[in-house]
Amino acid sequence: MTAYIIRRLWQMVPTLAGVVLLVFFLFNWIGGDPAYVLAGKISNQEQIDNIRRQLGVDQPYWVQLWIFVKQILSGDFGASWSTNERISSIILTRLPPSLTVLVPLLILETLIAIGLALAVAYVRGSLTDRMVMILCTIGLSISILVYIIVFQYVFAYKLGWFPVQGWGDSFAENLFRYASLPILIGLAVSIAPNLRLFRTFVLDEINQDYVRTARAKGLSENRIMWVHVLRNASIPIITYVMAALPALLIGAFLIERFFSIPGIGREVILAVERSDFPVIKAITVYVAVATMVFNLLADLMYKAVDPRVQLR
Amino acid sequence: MQRDSAPAGGEPLIQVRDLRISFRLGGDATFDAVKGVSFDIPNDSTVALVGESGSGKSVTALAILGLLPPENSIVDPRSRILYGGRNLVGLSGRAMRDLRGADISMIFQEPMTSLNPVFPVGYQLCEVLKLHRGLGQRAARKRAVELLDEVGIPEPQRRIDAYPSQLSGGQQQRVMIAMAIACEPKLLIADEPTTALDVTIQKQILDLVAELQKRHRMSVLFITHDLAVVGEIADRVVVMREGEIREQGSAKEVFESPRDSYTKALLQCRPALDRRPMRLPVIDDYMGDGRGPRHLDERPRGISPSDPVILDVRKLGKSFHVREGIIGRREFKAVSDVSFALRRGKTLGLVGESGSGKTTVGLTLMRLHEATTGEALFDGRDILSMSEREFMPYKRRIQIIFQNPYASLNPRFTVGQILTEPMLIHGIGDGARQRTDMVFELLGKVGLPDASFYKYPHEFSGGQRQRIAIARCLTLRPDILICDESVSALDVSVQAQVLNLLQDLQDEFRLSYLFISHDLAVVKYISDEVMVMNEGKVVEIADADTIYRHPREPYTQRLLSAIPKGWRGARAGA
Amino acid sequence: MATPSATLPRAAAPREIPHDVSPGLWTLAWRRLSADRVGMVSLAIVVAFVVLMILSGTGLVAKDWAREVGVNYAPPSFVGADVEAGAPAAPAAPAASVSAGDWQSSIVDPLADVIAELKGTKRAAAPGAAPAEGGSVDPLADVMADIRAGKAAETAAPATADVRSATLPFGGDKWGRDVVAKTIKGSETSIFVGIAAALVATALGTLFGAVAGYYGRWVDDAFNWFYSVFNSIPYLLLILAFAAVLQQKGMLTIILILGLTGWTGVFRLIRAEYLKHKSREYVQAADAIGASNARRMFVHIFPNVSHVVLVQLSILVVGFIKAEVILSFLGFGVPVDVVSWGSMLNEAQNELILGKWWQLVAATVAMATLVTAFSLFTDALRDALDPKLKGLKGH
Repeated sequence: MTAYIIRRLWQMVPTLAGVVLLVFFLFNWIGGDPAYVLAGKISNQEQIDNIRRQLGVDQPYWVQLWIFVKQILSGDFGASWSTNERISSIILTRLPPSLTVLVPLLILETLIAIGLALAVAYVRGSLTDRMVMILCTIGLSISILVYIIVFQYVFAYKLGWFPVQGWGDSFAENLFRYASLPILIGLAVSIAPNLRLFRTFVLDEINQDYVRTARAKGLSENRIMWVHVLRNASIPIITYVMAALPALLIGAFLIERFFSIPGIGREVILAVERSDFPVIKAITVYVAVATMVFNLLADLMYKAVDPRVQLR
Repeated sequence: MQRDSAPAGGEPLIQVRDLRISFRLGGDATFDAVKGVSFDIPNDSTVALVGESGSGKSVTALAILGLLPPENSIVDPRSRILYGGRNLVGLSGRAMRDLRGADISMIFQEPMTSLNPVFPVGYQLCEVLKLHRGLGQRAARKRAVELLDEVGIPEPQRRIDAYPSQLSGGQQQRVMIAMAIACEPKLLIADEPTTALDVTIQKQILDLVAELQKRHRMSVLFITHDLAVVGEIADRVVVMREGEIREQGSAKEVFESPRDSYTKALLQCRPALDRRPMRLPVIDDYMGDGRGPRHLDERPRGISPSDPVILDVRKLGKSFHVREGIIGRREFKAVSDVSFALRRGKTLGLVGESGSGKTTVGLTLMRLHEATTGEALFDGRDILSMSEREFMPYKRRIQIIFQNPYASLNPRFTVGQILTEPMLIHGIGDGARQRTDMVFELLGKVGLPDASFYKYPHEFSGGQRQRIAIARCLTLRPDILICDESVSALDVSVQAQVLNLLQDLQDEFRLSYLFISHDLAVVKYISDEVMVMNEGKVVEIADADTIYRHPREPYTQRLLSAIPKGWRGARAGA
Repeated sequence: MATPSATLPRAAAPREIPHDVSPGLWTLAWRRLSADRVGMVSLAIVVAFVVLMILSGTGLVAKDWAREVGVNYAPPSFVGADVEAGAPAAPAAPAASVSAGDWQSSIVDPLADVIAELKGTKRAAAPGAAPAEGGSVDPLADVMADIRAGKAAETAAPATADVRSATLPFGGDKWGRDVVAKTIKGSETSIFVGIAAALVATALGTLFGAVAGYYGRWVDDAFNWFYSVFNSIPYLLLILAFAAVLQQKGMLTIILILGLTGWTGVFRLIRAEYLKHKSREYVQAADAIGASNARRMFVHIFPNVSHVVLVQLSILVVGFIKAEVILSFLGFGVPVDVVSWGSMLNEAQNELILGKWWQLVAATVAMATLVTAFSLFTDALRDALDPKLKGLKGH
C-alpha cells in the first residue's frame, strides 16, 4: 500500500513536467511577448518593462523555462498583471467562495442522482423510465447559459426569492443567502447527466449473476436494490465523483460569474479577458496537481470500497 | 414452519405439467424456448436434466423458482408447476420469495460472479439465515460457520470473513452450496454447477452434492450438458432438445437401453476412455435416415521411434512480469523447461487444468508470445530465434485453431475474404480466379456449402465457424496445426463432427497436431502421445494408451480418477 | 454497403452458386436504425439542420439576416405590437455602436449592463437593500442611462421607421433584425464549428489511440503520458487557457481550440478498444497467417472499432456545439460580426430584463431541438451498432 502510494507519487513527476511544458509552450511561446499581449490593456510602459524583465522575454527559451520552473517550485508566481495582487493571495481568497457553492452542490447532486438512478433503474424499460431518460436528454440539450439566465431572471429578479447576486463576509450568510440560487441552478444542470450516468452504473450491476443469486435466496427487491446493487454501483460512482472534483472547481465558472461570486472560476474568466497570464498559469498548474492527487485518492478509495482490487 | 406444508410420501415433490416459455425478441417476434414440458421430481432423489445449448434446460429450471427475467420472458399461464398443492406459475412475488432459498434453492454455473463480490461470504450466508429462519446476528454466524464446515471449507472460523475473490473457484461453489442448503430446502436446483471448474474440483463438488442429498434427504435437480457427469449421481434422467423432452426415465433405463435416437447419439458421440473407434458416431448417424454409426472398429494409436520428428521443442520457458513494491517486479513463470517432440502425421495431446500453462506453450510456439528461454527446432532450424522476415515462410507451416469460434473470425469479413486473405499474403495461387477455386475446394473439404463464400461469420453456428477456422489454416497447407481447446466450446454432438473432420484431414494431409485441451476423454481419443502439464511444468509424457492405463505420476493418477465415468452400471458391462 | 478493403475476388464465380453477398454488419446496423422510429425522426431533424447550415453558408437562405427589417425589438406577430410604446425607440446610432463596441472589448464584463440595470431597479425598489458586493466597477452605467433616456424620449429617433414593420413573425432584436434569420445564420456557425472540431478531435484521438493501444510498450507509455498531461488539466480550464493565448478570434481558432483539447476521451476509448481487440483471437489468427502490423491495425481491427469512433464523433459534435455557445457567449469565440447562438444568448440576456424574451427563446429552441435530436440519434446509433447493449438503454 505504502509502496503503491510512493510509486504513484513518483509517476506524477513526468506528468507534472508535461503540464509545466504545456503551460510554458502555450503562454511563453504561442502567447508571446507580454508587451504585445498587453498592448491596449495596460498602458503603463514601465510596468510592461518590469513584466518582460521578470519573464526574461529577451533571453533564450530555456532560461524562461527555468524561471517558470523556479516559480512553480517556490510556489511564488508573482503578481497579477492587471491588479498587482499577489497570486498566492488571489488563490487563497478565491477558494473559499468556490467551495461554499461547490461542496453542498456536489453532495446534494450526488445523493439526489443516486436516489433517482436507483428508482429509474428499478422500473427499467417502463414508460416512466423512458420518459425520465428523454426528459434528461432534453434537459441536457439546453445550454447551461439558458438555465442561469432564466433562473436568475425568474427567481431573483422577478420573484425576488433570492438576491440577484452578491457575496458577503459571513459563511452562513453566503451559504444560505447568496449561494442557494447558484446551488439550485447547479442542481438543475447537473442532475440530468449524473442521473444518466449513474443509471448505467446501476443497470450494469442489475444484470450481474449475484443479483440472480440474491433473488434465488428469497431477498426482497428493495433489499437487493439498496444493499446488494447499491453497494456495487457505488464503486464506479465514488471514483467518478472523486475524479470529477477538481474539474468542478472550474466547471462552475459561469455560475460564479453571473452571480458575482468571487471564486476561482470567475477569476479564470477575468484573467482570460484581461490576458492576465500569470494567474491562468498558476491556477492551471495548481489545478493539475489537485487533479493528480484526487485521482490517486480516487484509486485508494476504490481499493477501500472494492475488496477485489489489489493495488500493486 | 414451512416444512409442514411440504407434500407427504408418495406424491412427487414437484410436478411440472405442460410448461411453455417463450421470449420476446423485439418487435412482435417471439422465440419458443420451452414447448410443453412435463416431468416429476420425486422426493429424496436426484433428477438430471440433460441437454445441449438451446435445449431449454436452464430456462425450465429458472421457471421453477420464478427467476426468469420479467422484461422479455412469457410463461404460458396454463402451464403448471405444482409444489405442495400450490401452482408456482403465477404465484405472487411475496409467496414466491418465501419459498426461494427456504423450500427451493439454487446454485449456478459461475460461482465467481454468482456471489456478491463486495460482501464477505459470511455476510451473504447469514443474510439468508436471518431472512428465512429469523436468527439473530450471533446465532446466524454460529450456524454459518457450521454450514461452511459441512460443505468442506477449511478453517471456517477464519474463512467466514473472507471475500469471494479470496477463495478458489471450488471453494466459491462450496459457499454457494452452503447458502443453498442453509435452510434445509426440499429441492436444490444445480444449474451446471461444475462446468466452469477443473476436472478434479468437479469431482469433489459432485461428491459433495451427492452426499448432501443423502444426508438431508432433499431432492436435487441437476442440470448439465454432459451425460457422463450425472451417470454416477442421477436417479432419473430427463433429456431435452430444442425445448422438448426427448426421453425420460430412470437412470438405468436411459443409460442402458435408451429408446430415443437423440439420447443414443448423446451417449455415443462423446469419446469414451476405453474405446477408440475409427470415427466417432455423430448425431446424423442416429437421426434422420438412422443408418447407425459406421467405422466403429478400433483405431490404432501411438508412435514408434521411426516416425520422423517435425518439431523438436527444447527447454521452452515463458515468464511474465508483475509489478510489485516501489520499483520491484516479480517474475511469474507461466511455462518452464518444457521439452517434447512432435512427429509428422501424429497428434500430441497436451492436457492440464487451468493455469497449467498449456495454452501459453501453443501461443509461444506460434510466436504470438515471445519465448523467454528455449528453442523449437522446425526441420532443424530454431524458429524462436529467427527474425520476423526469416520466420515468414515457417509461419505458413504452423497454424493455430483457437477455442472460441465466435471470436476467432473477423466479423467484418465475408467467409470468402477470410479464406482468400492468407493466400494473398503468402502469394499462394495464381490470381484471384485460382484462389477462389481453391477456397471452394476447401469449403467442400470442411463440409460447408459453396454459398458460404459470400456470407459473414455471424450467420454460422459454432461448429460451422470452427470449420471455417480450420479451412483458413488449410489455405496455407501447413504441416503443423495447433488446436488450442478447439472443440471445448462446442456441444457434444458438434464436437464429434469436428473431431472427425480433424481426423480425416490428418489422414489425408499427414498433418501433425498439437492438441491442447482440458478434456481428457477428447485428448485420449485424438492423440498418439499425451503430455500432462501442471503449474507450467511437464508432469508426464507417454504414449496415449500407456498414460491412461498405467499413469506413473500421482498428479496424472488424480486427474484420471476424476474423469466422470458415465453410468455406474455401464463400466461393469463394457 | 461497406466492403472491407481485403480484395474480394468477385470477378471469379466459377460455379453455379447463389450470388448475393449477405448483408454485412453495417447493413444490418442500418436496418436496425431504420426500424427505430425515434432514431429516424432525430436523424431527419439533424439532417434538416445540416441542410439549413449549408444553404445559409452558400447564401441561399438568411443572406439578409443583418437587414434591419423591423422596428427595434419588434415583438413577434402573435404577441402583437408593443402596447407600451407602439414602436419602441431605436437606440440612437452612436449608442448602438458604443454598446456593440463595448462588449467587444474584453476587459468589460458583458454582464455589466445587466448588473447596471438590476442595480438601478433594485435601488429604486428597495433603497435600503445591502449593496451587492464584488461586481466590478460598472463602466456601462452611463451607456445604459443613455439607452434608457433614449427610450424615455422615444420620438428622438425617427430613422427608417417608415419602412420597418412593427412586428416580425417571431420578433426582432435590438436593431430590428429578424430573429429567425439570425437564428439560421447562428446555426451555421455553431453547427459548422461543432462538426469541424469534432472531426479534428476524433481523428486525433482515433489515430493516437490506435497506435498506442496496438503497439503497447513504450509507444503506449509515450501517448499515455501525453494523455495524462492533457487529462490532468480540467477540460474547461484547458479551453480557456488556449482561448487566452490565441488572440486571433475566428472560427478557425475556436475549431482548433476545441479540436486540440477534445481528443482525450476518444483516445482513451479507442486505445482500450485496440488493447482489447489486439488480443482477440481473430487478430491473433491474422498474425498467424502472416498479416502485417498495418494490415492488422487498419484492415482487421479498425472496421471492428469504427462504431465506437462514430458514436464518439456524434457525442463530440453535441459537446462542441454547447462549448462553442458558451465560448461565444463569453466573447472568446467567434468575432463580433459573426452571429452564433452564443452571441445571441449574450444579447438575449440583456433583453430579457427589458421583457424582450423572443431572441432568447429562438436561440434556445433552435439549439435544444438540434442537440436533443443529435443526442437521441446518438443513442439510436449506439443501439443499432451494438445490439448487445439494447435493453440496457432506455430506448
